[in-house]
Amino acid sequence: MLILVTGGAASGKSAHAERLLCENAAGARLYLATMQPFGAPAQRRIVRHRAMRQDKGFQTIERPLDLAGFAPAQRYDGILLEDMGNLLANELFSPAGSKDAAFDSILVGIARLQDCCQTLVIVTNEVFSDGLDYPAETVRYIRLLGQLNTALAARAEAVYQSVCGILLPIGEGERR
Amino acid sequence: MTVLLVGGAYQGKAALARQLYPALPLIRDLHARVRNELAAGRDPMALLDSLRGHAVTCDEVGCGVVPVDRADETYREAVGRLCCAVAAEADAVVRVTAGVPQWIRGEKPCM
Repeated sequence: MLILVTGGAASGKSAHAERLLCENAAGARLYLATMQPFGAPAQRRIVRHRAMRQDKGFQTIERPLDLAGFAPAQRYDGILLEDMGNLLANELFSPAGSKDAAFDSILVGIARLQDCCQTLVIVTNEVFSDGLDYPAETVRYIRLLGQLNTALAARAEAVYQSVCGILLPIGEGERR
Repeated sequence: MTVLLVGGAYQGKAALARQLYPALPLIRDLHARVRNELAAGRDPMALLDSLRGHAVTCDEVGCGVVPVDRADETYREAVGRLCCAVAAEADAVVRVTAGVPQWIRGEKPCM
């Protein structure tokens, strides 16, 4: 089962994603962290998220790149992948990233994760509405994230958007 | 009673607040207050107490690319966290798009 949780910055999406995973995965839980721990805001976010996950029985693995090459030693009941915005940025802009192959590589990696677990919850980001002009490489990032979200939502059993900490089902259950 | 109205800029949030909740004093543009608090070196979360019993409008500012500027990122994060906190205890949360209200928590008041 695939569940997609999207939302803006600080919209409460992580907490909902964790809860959804815990509700849908009984035992072995893996937290796959894609954010590279650079800078003070990233560090603060990591501390916050670690505190939130405490006592929920998550194993944590940092995987900023190359989901396609991820080979876990065990099968999991649930995997929480957080988040697509960082993963795509790393694939596009990190020296070791897959660059032009990022889109395909990420989708291959997600299919692989689905093979490793019963329930996959993916946190992604709404970065599409600030209406600002950006350099071409950033525009490409925004476009690819939009396309990834679209592709993932099409495969997901459930898609939610978190708004002010309130989890909204998207599509009103017509498709799902 | 506390009501939070969120949405993009210029979507008619304040007009709807006056129309739907005429008995509640209105606090407009919570995002701007957050920016002022940060500029003054105060924790914006401390605003929470003062918002109870009001209709509060706030721009949804979190749906863009991570800002390059650290202060902008902090601002965006603080607005989001404060909105989560207000929403968690609000009687109604209304998301406004193009002047159209959607109650994402609570129900439309009887007029």
